[in-house]
Amino acid sequence: MSLLEVRGITMRFGGLTAVDDVSFNVDQGQIFAVIGPNGAGKTTLFNAITGVYEPTEGSVRFKGSPVRLEPDARLAWRAAVVAILAGLSAFLAINVQELWTVGIAANYVLNQPFPWGKAAGDALAAARAVPFAWGVLPAILGAGVGAGTVVALWQRSRRTPDLIARAGLARTFQNIRLFTDLSLVENVLVGMDSRMHSGFWTNLFRLPAFSRERAWTEREALDLLAFVGLSERAHEAAGSLPYGHRRRLEIARALASRPAVLLLDEPAAGMNPSEVVELMDLIRRVRDRGVTVILIEHHMKLVMGISDRIVVLQYGKLIGQGTPAEIRADRRCIEAYLGTEGEG
Amino acid sequence: MRRLPMPILAYFAVMSALPLFMGTTGLFYDAFQAIFVFSLVGLGLNVVTGFTGLLNLGMAAFMAIGAYTFAILTSDIYPFQIGFWWGILATVAIGAVAGFLLGAPTLGLSGDYLAIVTMGFGEITLDVLKNLDAVTKGTQGINPLPRPTFGPWTLELQQERGWYWLLLGFVLLAVLAVRRLERSRSGRAWLSIREDALASQCMGIPPKRTKMIAFATGSALAALGGALFAALLSSTGEPASYDFQVSILALCIVIVGGMGSVAGTLVGAVVMVGMNSLVLVKLADWAGAAGVGNASNVLASPNNWKYLIFGLALILVVRLKPDGLLPPRLEGGSS
Amino acid sequence: MEWVDFFLQQLITGLSNGMIIALIAIGYTMVYGIIELINFAHGDLFMLGAFLALTVVGLLGLGDWSGASAWAAVVIMLIASAGFCGVLNWGVDRLAYKPLRNASKLSLLVSAIGASFILVNLGLFWGGLPMDVFAGGVAAAAPKDFPALVPNTNLLGEESLVQFTPKDVLVWAVTVPLMVGLTWIVTRTRLGKAMRATAQNPVAARLMGIDTDRVIGATFLIGGALGGFASVIYSLYNNTISFQMGYRAGMDAFTAAVLGGIGSMPGAVTGALVIGLVRSMSDAYLETRWTNTIVFGILVLILIFRPSGLLGSRAKEKV
Repeated sequence: MSLLEVRGITMRFGGLTAVDDVSFNVDQGQIFAVIGPNGAGKTTLFNAITGVYEPTEGSVRFKGSPVRLEPDARLAWRAAVVAILAGLSAFLAINVQELWTVGIAANYVLNQPFPWGKAAGDALAAARAVPFAWGVLPAILGAGVGAGTVVALWQRSRRTPDLIARAGLARTFQNIRLFTDLSLVENVLVGMDSRMHSGFWTNLFRLPAFSRERAWTEREALDLLAFVGLSERAHEAAGSLPYGHRRRLEIARALASRPAVLLLDEPAAGMNPSEVVELMDLIRRVRDRGVTVILIEHHMKLVMGISDRIVVLQYGKLIGQGTPAEIRADRRCIEAYLGTEGEG
Repeated sequence: MRRLPMPILAYFAVMSALPLFMGTTGLFYDAFQAIFVFSLVGLGLNVVTGFTGLLNLGMAAFMAIGAYTFAILTSDIYPFQIGFWWGILATVAIGAVAGFLLGAPTLGLSGDYLAIVTMGFGEITLDVLKNLDAVTKGTQGINPLPRPTFGPWTLELQQERGWYWLLLGFVLLAVLAVRRLERSRSGRAWLSIREDALASQCMGIPPKRTKMIAFATGSALAALGGALFAALLSSTGEPASYDFQVSILALCIVIVGGMGSVAGTLVGAVVMVGMNSLVLVKLADWAGAAGVGNASNVLASPNNWKYLIFGLALILVVRLKPDGLLPPRLEGGSS
Repeated sequence: MEWVDFFLQQLITGLSNGMIIALIAIGYTMVYGIIELINFAHGDLFMLGAFLALTVVGLLGLGDWSGASAWAAVVIMLIASAGFCGVLNWGVDRLAYKPLRNASKLSLLVSAIGASFILVNLGLFWGGLPMDVFAGGVAAAAPKDFPALVPNTNLLGEESLVQFTPKDVLVWAVTVPLMVGLTWIVTRTRLGKAMRATAQNPVAARLMGIDTDRVIGATFLIGGALGGFASVIYSLYNNTISFQMGYRAGMDAFTAAVLGGIGSMPGAVTGALVIGLVRSMSDAYLETRWTNTIVFGILVLILIFRPSGLLGSRAKEKV
């Protein structure tokens, strides 16, 4: 069983088919490259894998099963509870004036003890007397809308990027997306969020768990920054970093969740040759931490130098896959891509 | 590395000493009581809009919910009468629940769609308060409301200095809470959504839950502001006291002060509310004394210039200080 | 079949009001489409258009015109208000929004709120003009009567229970050609193409040699002019105006734009018709005092199940 199985992924936007029936497997511990000319659908494929897009067809299996919420008893419970509450609220919203007048206003005399039992009885009697059209009907409608809302919202949250990230697939972006107003450490700490446990109240009241968690997370964040070589700027704003460093910060942020798979979208874009060499070293060291790496890259030296396995995309279709040596020998792949490669 | 928040400390130092020079009653207290109430609402909105980047145009609704919850639970025209302090606690809780209920189905909406929903919520709340007059007493408002007690001692309405410090105390608590949250996992998640919602989600931050907590926190603070506003007047006032203008005022406080900056919100409240209830009132007094105030000429009454001045001030502030008067500053950062 | 008549009546009222809202909503949606700004000042611009129309009535003595010349008076008002609102909207953009093109969306929004306040205040002052049409300007803040230039006679005959008046004719005769014309501008002309290009990607549009500032200016001009047209037909339809009416109208129109899917012009019209209909039906069959609640309740419901509005398409974010 492969770690990640991409099965027949197709992405269509209107009439445009950006990714067309692409399948491949990625094994544990590999450095796996996706190459192809611009517009071949590589980034779209990444987006389909990481949940940014819902694939038009096909599925992604991670550790043997698809990452998505399946309908379960909890959904049914939630829908039932919301339906009952919404039904009650609809009933109350319409009849609250009447019930309040009969139950509370009529029974309350200033400075006298309030007869709670009688008030409840009166209100209940008034509630029973509400005609169908103003009582039961709105309650049923309200319940329907409530349950419908729960199901609609659940439907939309079945396969979202946060679920997939939490399952163990982390990514970087082609057009670097850092939290520019946050410091480097904070960026990494956001990436670490899925491993943290302190909740709202812990944070509000600074319970002991808060300081414990702060201690280990900050230590680990600094370690990660050291790992990518950025520790001396740890408390500066991410927006102040030069371009080359931003890529490395993005990698550190993605690694912070201890992912099983790291997807890198053109990590070498805009880098000079010496930076590329550093990057290759960094990617290898990431792999050595036990993280499987999938990367999109145009930089052939990098791809051929570090990949264990390569797939080639053209016009959304997978036209070849194999080891770097096999790809180099594959006529179709050379024509599609390597032949036009020359600008470096 | 964790420096003391100097502007905030300075604010509280100045504010707590100020009444010593201002006598015991007068316009100063009216103005600053309003400023503190709106500081609370502004701090709440700062969590929602400043930290999390969700545009909320219905903060007044949460103030109203706070004021009316507090009033219904504490006024002696109804049998509940749980007293000032329990009333405040219940109000904060109900405010949070209200934020949660509005947020749960709508926080998946993108920016401006959410804004219009919150604006609509404000309208609905006003209508409901106006129309359910058996409960809310319609345009009369609910009154009287109880005064806070400290053991055997009760803070009477005319003890303006006492109210001033009480409200300042609530602002201090709110600032503490907001800053603690900001510098924790919760706050980082909020900021990451504001900075880049998609990247944040791809890092495993669940957007809806995170936004919902921000929304509930903000609503709870606004409700607290509303409850104190009502307690201060011993009446909820009419529902129209919580109209769209109030929501806009809250938004302006946050943006003029500096989005996402706690100190900025405090300063924004002083500037915006101060202009409203101090400068313009003074101007009107002055015009009245000089005999310029003339009912037959619309231009003569300074009160009629209120919106013009307010509008010009807003445009000038965003033009000249686009990040607000006191933008958030990163620890050791360059920005 | 009395209930059929009653229902038809609500339909007519709802659709006519919806068309007026639609003209304002298009102004919102055009500006939003091009610079992603909720132009808060737009409703108040509409209000000032009505004040200008009333001033024109007072200056030219249009209130006494009747019969065919009454329709001429309407045309004069339409042109005057549309021109005024178009130029004013363009000016607001120049002064309040243009310097903030590179600022954050929220700064822009606050600037729009500021502009809205200023326009409201100008409306208040305007109502204080010492003219007969403003009741001598004594009570500046009071609502003003707008002369009934378009008669309220029933075109379906006096005995018909359904009222269909020249006012309804006016609404449709103004709004439909305007919408057709606007669609033509947006889909067929160079300006329209430039507008759509700028809306899609301002940077790319500029690189392609489009003068985006001019395009944005033109958008404000057109959107404002539509608001001006709307203000005149609104005033003739309802016969009363007030300096505070911009808020309600703006809120309805913006809700309509969002309901239909903001940025989409057919969406704005659809949303406006839905809102007009819901309003009239709710006024008639339920209670007027709950109408706002019902409108916004329906808005929330629709957005829960269609998060980008009725006709909006969710733009895929480029990653």
